[in-house]
Amino acid sequence: MNEKSSLNLNLDLSLILQRCRPRDPKPADVLQTLLAVQDGLGHVPPEAIPEIARALEVTEADVAGVLTYYPDLRTRPTGRHLVRVCTGESCVANHCDRVLTALRKKLGINLNETTPDGRFTLERVYCVGNCAVSPTVIVDEQVHGRVTESDIASLLKDCR
Amino acid sequence: MTPTRLYLSNDTSARAAGADRLARAWEGTADLELVRTSSRGAFFLEPLVERDTPEGRVGWPTAAPADLRRILAGEGGVPVSQIPFLAQQTRVTFANFGQTQPLSAEEYVAHGGGEGLDRARALSPEAIIEELKVSGLRGRGGAAFPVWNKWQVARKTQADRKYVVANADEGDAGTYCDRMIMEGEPFRLLEGMLICALAIGADAGYIYCRQEYPAAVQALQAAIEEAEEDGMFDLKGGHFHLEVSVGAGSYVCGEETALLESLEGRRGVVRAKPPYPAVSGLYGRPTIVSNVLTFATVPSILARGGKWYATMGTERSRGTVVLQIGGRVKQPGLVEVPFGMTLQEVLDRFGSGPAPGARFKAVQVGGPLGSLFPASRLGIRICYDAFAEAGAILGHGGIVVYDDETDMVELARHFMAFAADESCGKCTPCRVGSVRGREILERIQAGHGGPGDLELLADLGETMKAASLCALGGRAPYPVLTAIEHFGNEFRR
Repeated sequence: MNEKSSLNLNLDLSLILQRCRPRDPKPADVLQTLLAVQDGLGHVPPEAIPEIARALEVTEADVAGVLTYYPDLRTRPTGRHLVRVCTGESCVANHCDRVLTALRKKLGINLNETTPDGRFTLERVYCVGNCAVSPTVIVDEQVHGRVTESDIASLLKDCR
Repeated sequence: MTPTRLYLSNDTSARAAGADRLARAWEGTADLELVRTSSRGAFFLEPLVERDTPEGRVGWPTAAPADLRRILAGEGGVPVSQIPFLAQQTRVTFANFGQTQPLSAEEYVAHGGGEGLDRARALSPEAIIEELKVSGLRGRGGAAFPVWNKWQVARKTQADRKYVVANADEGDAGTYCDRMIMEGEPFRLLEGMLICALAIGADAGYIYCRQEYPAAVQALQAAIEEAEEDGMFDLKGGHFHLEVSVGAGSYVCGEETALLESLEGRRGVVRAKPPYPAVSGLYGRPTIVSNVLTFATVPSILARGGKWYATMGTERSRGTVVLQIGGRVKQPGLVEVPFGMTLQEVLDRFGSGPAPGARFKAVQVGGPLGSLFPASRLGIRICYDAFAEAGAILGHGGIVVYDDETDMVELARHFMAFAADESCGKCTPCRVGSVRGREILERIQAGHGGPGDLELLADLGETMKAASLCALGGRAPYPVLTAIEHFGNEFRR
């Protein structure tokens, strides 16, 4: 990372952390702080752990412990478009594995990987409550239901 | 000319089924008013378009953009009251679904919303709790603990402040009734939480909602804002402060003490009980943590009386149960009926048999920790006691049907891997046992299963059941062991 973008990162992080400092009677909330950092920066860079710990007046272990515990907290950026396949039981019963295989083939990547051009990241998600209209694929924020292998191309076509 | 009013749901699943596509296609049509409502929960019919007639609502199931002409002409619709899936239900908590606009306080009140809270405001805390006792309401999140008892404990515990927390994590795959409530009738959840606040003496609360439900989070925040303006949060001598807190993808944070840890900003690790949250919960204060559906059931009980609620259901499972059918069935959707029907009856009458081209193999009730039932075991009655006797759980009411293209070894591996991924790590039997269990199943899958593997799994299962602090470790063996029990030949490769 070059010096200029590193400086921008620090400025953004400081601004976010200012809002999250513990304020009596509300104690430090490590989880909500990390979610706020991720919201602002797209992910939580591990190098930010010491500064977050200082701002919240907790240990680095506290911060790292929460960061590594929750699946939604990510330490690496994602591609421009997040494609998530639901692997909850109703989607499994409706053979979402076939949809997942088709997506892996189409994108040329495995789960938790990003395409070389930075366009797509492929992940699993466990249940978004669309069980009665499964299988489910979420592209960015859009929930698609009754997805079959032949739907894959049209799901992704508008994502640049 | 008065525009024709059509109703279309904006529920997440209705939208996934194509409701928004219809709305976009019909946008700008002259003399058409499109009103977005909650969903009736008959998702196999979505996108369902309805209109008013003198005889009641008429619907056009699985509508396509080209159907607009005949819908406006009133051709080919079916009276909603005659749809068997809906007509055979006993809708109490879900009575208004499909009819009202989710964020309209006026429509909520016009349909009886707020009556429960109005009545509760005029009662003493003891009288509110007595009504719940008479109703026999047991927690609908899975533990099925008598609700009145929990509230009584919290009421009696002295503290400088108390909390009401709604568990909106709804982590069990196959369940969506909470999502529907939050998206479709959020005021009902707020009303139930406020009745609880009056009963226990709380002036603050949280709704811990899974981040996988962004539409629900939005609807809740809008409803809270509206309710604030309407004075709904002005309670006797005080003001109730309610916030939505969004989760971060951890299944075990649906367990009440792990939820509290997460709400306090830490790793969602399970706490030992006692102390129970009703005595020492959020920030060590008396806290009622209840599931969304449980809170949403409370207003009707206050409005119509606990005695009325207790007339439905069975001796020890009073009231209605809300089931969510999914998987390989013809008619997936939400079913609200009195406790006591058999699983077979529910699958036949509502699920209407396997999906086209599919053959029934097994059904799982109660989420990823639920037991599997083969065709020969469907005579079991849906109530807490019958399920407990069978070593099974109703959980959150999720019912998932698997077909004969499902590999039981892979399914068992999926269940054990899930437990391993989601374990909070506190208890060795769960943290290590789930991984070892997954490894054994992977060995069997790869054709390297050895003699004694199934006995080892059973033994491992006994240890996890006996020595886990929470139901994740305690129940993780059941889906695997019931798969082996009923489909053993697949495991002896």
